[in-house]
Amino acid sequence: MEKFREKFIEEANDLINELEKLLLDIEGNQDNPDLIQQIFRVMHSLKGGSSMFGFNKMDKFTHHLENIYDLIRNKKLKINEEILDITLASVDHLRNLVHEGEDADTQNQEQHDLLLSKILQLIDENVVIDETSPTIQETDSRDIEDEATYYISFKPHANIFKFGTNPLYLIDELCEIGPTKVFVRTDELPEFDTINNTECHLYWDIFLVTNLGINTIGEVFIFADEQCDLSIHKISDINLLEEESFLGIIDETIKNQKEIDINQLKQLTNDLEKVFVKAQEDQTKQTINFSTIDANISSIRVSSEKLDNLINWVSELVTIQARLSLFAQETETNGLTPISEEVEKISRRLRDDVFSIRLIPIENMITRFQRLVRELSQELNKDVVFKTEGTETELDKNIIEALADPLLHIIRNSLDHGIETTDERQINGKPKRATILLKAFYSGTNVIIQISDDGKGIDPEKIRNQAILKGIITSDSELNKKDTFDLLFQPGFSTTQKVTKVSGRGVGMDVVKRKIAEIRGEVDIDSEINEGTTITIRLPLTLSIIDGLLVQIGTTKFVIPLSSVYKCYEFKHETLANSINNLIRTDNQEIAYLNLRELFEIEGDAPETEHVVAVQFGDTRIGLSVDNIIGQYQAVLKPLGKLYKKQQTISGATILGDGTVALVMDSNKLINQFANNQIKVGG
Amino acid sequence: MEKEEIETIETLDDVNTFLSFKLKDEYFATNVSKVLTILEMKPITKVPNSPTYMRGVINLRGNVLPVIDMRIKFGMPATEFTTATCIIVLNVEIEEENVQLGIIADAVDEVLEIKESEIEESPSIGTKYKNEFIQGMYKLKDGFIMLLNMNLIFNTDDLIITKEIEEAEAAQALKDE
Repeated sequence: MEKFREKFIEEANDLINELEKLLLDIEGNQDNPDLIQQIFRVMHSLKGGSSMFGFNKMDKFTHHLENIYDLIRNKKLKINEEILDITLASVDHLRNLVHEGEDADTQNQEQHDLLLSKILQLIDENVVIDETSPTIQETDSRDIEDEATYYISFKPHANIFKFGTNPLYLIDELCEIGPTKVFVRTDELPEFDTINNTECHLYWDIFLVTNLGINTIGEVFIFADEQCDLSIHKISDINLLEEESFLGIIDETIKNQKEIDINQLKQLTNDLEKVFVKAQEDQTKQTINFSTIDANISSIRVSSEKLDNLINWVSELVTIQARLSLFAQETETNGLTPISEEVEKISRRLRDDVFSIRLIPIENMITRFQRLVRELSQELNKDVVFKTEGTETELDKNIIEALADPLLHIIRNSLDHGIETTDERQINGKPKRATILLKAFYSGTNVIIQISDDGKGIDPEKIRNQAILKGIITSDSELNKKDTFDLLFQPGFSTTQKVTKVSGRGVGMDVVKRKIAEIRGEVDIDSEINEGTTITIRLPLTLSIIDGLLVQIGTTKFVIPLSSVYKCYEFKHETLANSINNLIRTDNQEIAYLNLRELFEIEGDAPETEHVVAVQFGDTRIGLSVDNIIGQYQAVLKPLGKLYKKQQTISGATILGDGTVALVMDSNKLINQFANNQIKVGG
Repeated sequence: MEKEEIETIETLDDVNTFLSFKLKDEYFATNVSKVLTILEMKPITKVPNSPTYMRGVINLRGNVLPVIDMRIKFGMPATEFTTATCIIVLNVEIEEENVQLGIIADAVDEVLEIKESEIEESPSIGTKYKNEFIQGMYKLKDGFIMLLNMNLIFNTDDLIITKEIEEAEAAQALKDE
């Protein structure tokens, strides 16, 4: 039982997270019935689970909470800020209940009682509303019945057309009420040559599913009542049209029998219903079984240590495989090459799979931020919308976990210090509603996360004065803009005079920087006064194995990440040497290239035939000249270590099959660093 | 001799074991507790745009090991590789972090046991090396061995990269001379 409880706790956590996300989604989307339906469903599952596993408090609590959304679902209550606030607070409370158990401390109990009373009050208030507008309520409730299947036999009189009635319109109208199955009966159709085209010889059998009740169906025929034989029967309390066996039987009956006998039909549906209900029960039982099995399979929890080990072994395997490939090439033993190729293929797939295990999209931590923005902006009385881009970008789970706190801090800072009050914004001619944008994207072998706001920006002068005041710099130090902003990362630096509850306790950006450095990331600030602030975080892809192109310059081998390689070209050395402004012509297009031999200060002369690897750089492509292209290579990335930490253009190294070391280029940084020396980017 | 041995055991705490090595014509030594292994010279992959004393990286049992030319670091001409040239792999502490690196020595000499009392303070003048790198001097019959404080030598500020620092250091070394 304990095991199941644990499973439930796991599931409950997922449900609570989903609920939180849905609640944030519905804000601003308040009339979306799908979302309400989903919220209701999640609450319902939560309720079911908690009662099953003896979380009685939670069961009762969700029950009341669910009631609110039942009212909303049935349009008896309109979703509003207050409801969302209470529900979100309840979500937090539920999380506590799950985590700390039901018999937690008194504070928890107080919170529980408080929320419960608020919820009940909400429902009570709603009942009052009901009484004040009884007419609307009445019609609503009269019209809404449970879903049922109806059988309609519609047999127009032959002269129906004379009254200006088109029976097809009536059927169309029926179809609008709900899902229908219409059978047209042609057995009374006379021989072709005797047809009188002013008469109707067709009649219809219609099965209709609706929750609007039999009267609504009758209303369709209100003007055609006199011109047809009509009978409407409710044949079942369930939606038979979704049951294939029912449709099959009806099809069969209609083909073989001339007339549908309503009694027979009722008998049939009765029998069927019993079978269906039983089948449904079985199915639910089965789905319960399935879901437990699924849950077992879909959520194996593995300690990250095991995963790390697995990744280490795969890295070893890839390195060994490189040796095998090299050995196979050199010895040319019959049959060895295919085996080594096969091993290469498998190890590549293995590598991809193992690495993908640890990757999760950034999406997973966004809910937290949405929540933060929502609540803080209310508290600070600012109008802020939180937008995201590229949240499908995947990062290693460990990185995402380590990133959450620094990001929360940054967003908190933006809200508190960056974004002005609504009044200030209006005075400055900005839109009333401020925006915080979180944008994530890949750049070479890095993932970049940018958080920008359109707030008041940071005044470099202020930073400077503050830094002088705190003795971080002297009054005669000359700093450029970037250096000035970097001061913000100094320990104990905080520009706001006012210490608020939200941020500004003096432990600020230095902690952010340290935390991000711990995951081998970098952080930068850029800001324009009155336009806003952008904080850029550059993170390594933990993918410690990358696909690369192995190239050679002099005796040194380099790996260019394949993800950024566009195309390779061959050039005579003279052509390159004589090119003007390092521009070369390829595929009828001029591209700029970097002479890596020169930039890397590699001794020796270039060979007669050189190669240019065109890599993607932003929107343009830049060529990188190398002596020789060796081929594709799976590189197990090894860090160059602390002593090379200022080395930007080389992001790491890899051990080749022959035991020597090749260097992995960071083409983006390389181009950034050298572009101005040799070429004009984009020129 | 016998007497000395007894003393050694008695004052074990005060005795340090050093590995001495040769750079050009001078002898240096590092505490053996820092030494992981000694490797034969092997091909080094030069990392572009790094200071000259950073000779490059090698493969040490599947890991990448930076290799430093101590001769250049100490203002001598770059090491020319001979059969005696070797790489001493050290484990040093840089900014509270353990870092493995290799240093190139013209030759590894011997392992010495040196008592605390035998270590002389390095003279504050008359040496071209920065004082803080030198833990002390050990007198031999025909000269000195400089006992190096490895943790400080590889302190990032002094050793790490940017060419300006390197040049400034070289200028400083010249001035000191």
